[in-house]
Amino acid sequence: MGSDFIQLLLNGLSLGAVYALFALGYTLVFSVLGVINFAHGAVFTLGAYFTYLLIGGAVGANGLLAGFQLPIALPFWLALPLAGLGAATVALLIERLAFRPLRERNADPLLALITSLGAGVVLVNLIQLLVGAESYAIPSGSLGGLPVAIQLFGAQVRTVQLLLLLVATVLLAALSLWIDGTRSGKALRAVSEDPTTAQLLGINSHRMVQIAFGLSGFLAGLAGGLVGLSVSLAGPYFGIGYGLKGLGVLVLGGLGSVPGAVLGGLLIGLAEACVPAAWSGYREVVAYGVLFVVLLVRPQGLLGKPLATKV
Amino acid sequence: MTPPLLELENLGVRFGGLQALDAIELAVQPGEIFGLLGPNGAGKTTLFNLISGITPPSRGRVLWRGSEITNLDPSRINRLGIARTFQNLRLFHSLNCRDNVLVGLHRQARLPWAAALLGTAAGRRRQQTLRDQAQHLLELLEIGSLAHQPAAALSYGDRRRLEIARALASGPELLLLDEPAAGMNPSEKEALRLLIRRLQSQFKLTVLIIEHHVPLMLSLCDRLAVLNFGKRIALGTPEAVRQDPQVIEAYLGVGGVV
Amino acid sequence: MGAAFHDASLLQQMLIGALLGLSVYLPLSCGQLSLATPGFYAIGGTTAALLSTRVPALGGGDPTYPLSSVMLEMAVAALVSGLLALGIGKLVLRLRGIYLAIATIALVEILRVTTLNQEALGGAVGIFGIPQPFNNPGGYAAFTLVVLALICWLFARLEDNRTGRAMAAIRDDELAAACQGIDTAQTKLLAFVFSALVAAITGVISAHFFNSWNARLGNFDASITTRAFVVFGGSRTWLGPVVGGLLLTALPELLRPVGDLRLIVFGLVILVGPLLAPQGLVTPERLQGLGRSLQGLRRAPGGGEPTEALDPGPR
Repeated sequence: MGSDFIQLLLNGLSLGAVYALFALGYTLVFSVLGVINFAHGAVFTLGAYFTYLLIGGAVGANGLLAGFQLPIALPFWLALPLAGLGAATVALLIERLAFRPLRERNADPLLALITSLGAGVVLVNLIQLLVGAESYAIPSGSLGGLPVAIQLFGAQVRTVQLLLLLVATVLLAALSLWIDGTRSGKALRAVSEDPTTAQLLGINSHRMVQIAFGLSGFLAGLAGGLVGLSVSLAGPYFGIGYGLKGLGVLVLGGLGSVPGAVLGGLLIGLAEACVPAAWSGYREVVAYGVLFVVLLVRPQGLLGKPLATKV
Repeated sequence: MTPPLLELENLGVRFGGLQALDAIELAVQPGEIFGLLGPNGAGKTTLFNLISGITPPSRGRVLWRGSEITNLDPSRINRLGIARTFQNLRLFHSLNCRDNVLVGLHRQARLPWAAALLGTAAGRRRQQTLRDQAQHLLELLEIGSLAHQPAAALSYGDRRRLEIARALASGPELLLLDEPAAGMNPSEKEALRLLIRRLQSQFKLTVLIIEHHVPLMLSLCDRLAVLNFGKRIALGTPEAVRQDPQVIEAYLGVGGVV
Repeated sequence: MGAAFHDASLLQQMLIGALLGLSVYLPLSCGQLSLATPGFYAIGGTTAALLSTRVPALGGGDPTYPLSSVMLEMAVAALVSGLLALGIGKLVLRLRGIYLAIATIALVEILRVTTLNQEALGGAVGIFGIPQPFNNPGGYAAFTLVVLALICWLFARLEDNRTGRAMAAIRDDELAAACQGIDTAQTKLLAFVFSALVAAITGVISAHFFNSWNARLGNFDASITTRAFVVFGGSRTWLGPVVGGLLLTALPELLRPVGDLRLIVFGLVILVGPLLAPQGLVTPERLQGLGRSLQGLRRAPGGGEPTEALDPGPR
């Protein structure tokens, strides 16, 4: 019983950590631009594929790159951050192509929902074109000498889950330290609270937007690599489901709130882990059900600021 | 004795730590032009927002013809006969001027479902009557020639006039004007003063008006109230208010020239 | 028969796209960023699939499925989705902007997963062998064209009267609209429910046309693609989403020759489209301009400069 509970808790927390990383990426962009980046799921997917390639994985027979394999095979702990950087680069590219032109033209910011989706469609289909639609697995042996599973409080725990939890915790801590403790972090917050005043204070909001996209891409890339290791890369579309749930997490925690994204992620992860096996088909809607209720009872989310109307 | 048209009882509102309005008492009589004076941030627009149902008050009551309307929503309040304009202009910018006024005619524009859907002859005649009504209102405000211009293309003064036309379209008894002369030059202000007088007598309106231009207010209004820091510091005829020492100190400044 | 068959089938899909575009357009035309259309589309499709395959009486014994039964399915689908939209709309329309968008995405996903998990609703496999009221795509296209024309006509009427103006006013400035005595909550709800009805009716047609139905037809991708129809065509007059729906549905088919690059090009188009035409292809101003030049052409039948005949008198 006790070990079951720990297993459940760990499943929930590690899943929740992924959602939290996801939602944080959304939140960073939302807080500076006030829009959702619908290409975020595709960036996550790319992170997973980058990781797979960097550890020396070979491309299957169906894509243009059939049989391709990098000449090097990096250890996972090195491949993961590099994949994160790759994903960050792509996120910056998305900003350049799908977001910045709208700002330059003073267009309705909500159009970014469509342009970013366009970018996502391009990325996902590019992946499919290059490496095919089959699923890939990152071998658990990639963790080097680490055992596949360890005993913890009498429960059999997969090392991957612990790793996920650990990396997520470190990243989240680093991010909140950065936002509260550094000049650029504070500048980011200033831009999110009042872009015009921030501009007057000499903060380059354009630069902050890039930082937000870069960071969100990096987080998504890491999350993608970790999920790839933990579950597998189930085809070019596998990030989309996570992306949608990330939206739920985002609203649950409160749009634009960093602690909210973490809290929301963990709550939804735990809630999903608690769904009994007989109802497993409905696991996917837990996030949306919770989201729906929260939206109606408290639209600003758990930790968001109340929405004000200006006259 | 008939009750006042609009009565505010002990009305107050707080935003966070800020007491924006405190214990406001006012009674507006039918047919009068009532002015609200006060420096920026005194709470005048907030008072309009409370009356028109946009902001809920923290305490106190708003009475319309003696019955309470305190927490009604803006559309209900408009339908009772209170229309307003906005200090920072809230026109329907993608619609042309005539359609802006037609939106104001919303309540009168109701058609039987069948006539609306099928576009029957009777329905078309009704639409034409409404369009004529809208055109008439535009002409009253001296912007009749701009009927087909998009609202966004208008000059500042014309936009203020269009807002008044739109507000009149909903057939109000009480018209709230929030700085209708802002951004106008002296001769435009004088024209506006005459216009408000004319509209007031033509439509048998009661007018509650916020304006910074003191000479305009003194010559236009029957009575005035002066707000400062959310409190009502004076109330009375233009002559009385102008000589009130508190007003001179708080608003006009010592030695202020009126 | 090959090419003609294919053309009519493509036309039919384009018409479905136009109908879905209109469904998304309606809440958007009063400023509500609702992405619920695929959910109600799925309800329509599932209703039609269930009724036509599980209720033998509807078949009428003919080899072709009677059109009156399709109409009946439409009525049932409209009723079900209309009632649901009424209930859900009351709750979610209090939300604004991106919050409303996310709530409606959640709604669509809840409906999808529920259908996926209920064997009675088709489950993961879906419902097959939906009977055919027409024996060729041309018949479908003709029928759908009539439905589309009818709905377009209703939309045109709507935009011409007080409700349409109220919707435009709410889109421009909801608070100012309320201050003109417009019951904004009721108007938004009306748009939401009517949008659900259009989507459900479209779902009924699609289920028969596709011959099978499954939960995947109403998913998040559909939410966004249908939204793209409106962004593309323009969201300020009903003609916009019709044009957007027709074009964007045809596009992947027209791109078939480029093979695997098809969806990439499609993605590029929806990435670049809003940048080039933020207001969409069809705007009231462009329509007016077009109308004026047509008038000009008519007045100067010799094909003279349309601009010359443009301003005959003072405006």
